[in-house]
Amino acid sequence: MASVLLLSVAAVYYAATVRIPISMLADEVGPHGLPTILAALLGLVGLSLGARALLTDRHLPSPTAADREQQGASPLRALGLLATGALYVPVAWLLGHIPALVLVLAGVAFYEGMKPSWRMVAVVGGGAAFFWLLFSVILGGPQPTGMLF
Amino acid sequence: MLLVTTPLVPVSVVGLAWGILGGALPGISPSIAMALLLPFTYTLDPTLAIVLLATAYIGAEYGGSIPAILIRTPGTNAAAATVIDGYEMRRQGRAGEALGISLWSGVVGGLFGLTVLITLTEPLSRLALAFRPTSYFGLGVLGLSVIASLSGRSLLKGLAAAILGLMVATIGTDPISGVSRFTFGSPELLEGIAPIFVMVGLYAVSELMRSSGAAEIPRQESVRIQFPSWGVMKRIRRAQGIGCFIGTFEGLMPGAGGSIAAFLSYNEARRWSKRPEEFGKGSEEGIAAPESANNAVASTALIPLLSFGIPGSNSAAVLLGGLLIHGLLPGPRLFEQNTDVIIGLYAGSFVAVVSLLVMGILILPACVWLVNRPRPYLSGFIFALVFSGIYSVHGTLVDLGIVLVAGVVGYVMRYFGFPFLPAVLGVVLGGLVESNYRRSLVLSGGDHAIFLEDPIAVGLLIAALLFLCGSLAREWREAARRRKEARA
Repeated sequence: MASVLLLSVAAVYYAATVRIPISMLADEVGPHGLPTILAALLGLVGLSLGARALLTDRHLPSPTAADREQQGASPLRALGLLATGALYVPVAWLLGHIPALVLVLAGVAFYEGMKPSWRMVAVVGGGAAFFWLLFSVILGGPQPTGMLF
Repeated sequence: MLLVTTPLVPVSVVGLAWGILGGALPGISPSIAMALLLPFTYTLDPTLAIVLLATAYIGAEYGGSIPAILIRTPGTNAAAATVIDGYEMRRQGRAGEALGISLWSGVVGGLFGLTVLITLTEPLSRLALAFRPTSYFGLGVLGLSVIASLSGRSLLKGLAAAILGLMVATIGTDPISGVSRFTFGSPELLEGIAPIFVMVGLYAVSELMRSSGAAEIPRQESVRIQFPSWGVMKRIRRAQGIGCFIGTFEGLMPGAGGSIAAFLSYNEARRWSKRPEEFGKGSEEGIAAPESANNAVASTALIPLLSFGIPGSNSAAVLLGGLLIHGLLPGPRLFEQNTDVIIGLYAGSFVAVVSLLVMGILILPACVWLVNRPRPYLSGFIFALVFSGIYSVHGTLVDLGIVLVAGVVGYVMRYFGFPFLPAVLGVVLGGLVESNYRRSLVLSGGDHAIFLEDPIAVGLLIAALLFLCGSLAREWREAARRRKEARA
């Protein structure tokens, strides 16, 4: 599976490499040089991994419950958490920093199994206020202001 | 004078505190704690930025021992060896004693490592004065080869990770011709992908994804640290010495890291101990050796970074990212042109190691409080910290998208057992490797023989080849052994 993934990445990368415009200012190697080499190398490594998996890894013991625990959350669960956190981006773009923070803090807590409670309201509200204070007031850095406000 | 007139001391203490708190949280490695600080370093003076990152590293190496002792869960990989005797002492009602030995040994290891760092780095960096573009290319290839060989258990996966990192480094504007590569018409990608986004995504976001739904850590009541008595200090000094030397050696070896140093030190301390039968049953030396080792590594791992620009660990790679953010290139030029940064780093690290004695005691209740927080809230706070911090770098939401994509890539890499360090190194060093390679060929008119005319480049490239072949041979032997066992 990893081998197939690497070969796919190499193929896509190479396809993008051939579309790099040619430049009159290019040197001997040019902007295509290293990307072409990298695509070839990754393809070779991908093939080697696949060959190794077919020829030798049959002798590896099957993953145990401890191995699976080491791997962590299942892909679906992990992507769900990421999607929950990623809601920050569209909400921040639309409504600004503070509503997006509230959404992330509450959304992730819900997703990870916390039940709604006054304590959660206090944590989410306090957390949003803390980050606004830290980044917008104390550090004075830019934060999303939102399209609507 | 430096310590009095600049905010160096408060920055050191803040970095130390952050590192201890981060290290005390299982799942937050020193590199994650440092990566989360990177956005804050953009607005800081370069010296203060590097001090903040380096002292966070020092703090995290100690912080990892707190949950290792109290709840049998190492906060960092390097603290895994501390669990063996540390948790046993806690079961015997000697948790305060164990934490005190860990703290004292951390200070001893940190001071030893810092002394070696100050003594060796500048002379070693002078070797790099003889470097030409061909030599820098060879050094980059060697660094990538060594890290790919030593990180993780599979050379092929290490190489794949390094190549992926190099691919990311090609995104943006070509340094020689000015042509845009892999930007797909996006103006935000013209400057390339900053290593900070890759590091935060790979280390922090992928860890959040991996730990989704994990069980809560057992609740822990606070405990008071008991500083070791003079008698205990005398009893553990041999173990501390062993830890310091092994930690120094492992820190100098790229890819080796704190966890290897900690376990090696534990084994050697047991071998040379007058009371080896006590190891595993609450031995003071069983804590002293690994803790002094992993704190010595925190300083000596910076030697290959500062001298040659090759980070020997994930945390050193983050520190390299911090240097590059401020346009500082490691090597002899750093010592000549940015002496203030180097002196500041040494001074800040010294302040952090000495402050550890006090900070380690004061911050323990906060660490225990943090460890006891429900994990869902902690995950939400880390997400909020990542988004707020990353946005503050360039003020664009595109950067958040890059971090999220890097998080997905990091999760996939973890899932298939690909190491992170070669990928991070590829992103960080990719531009330098490519530009020196092409610059060399411009000088020679396209003739690759220029690489053979530079003895340093030849030596480094041969060394890279030897590392790769050695690693391949080791894997074949391991595969043959597995086949033999399967048939038996």
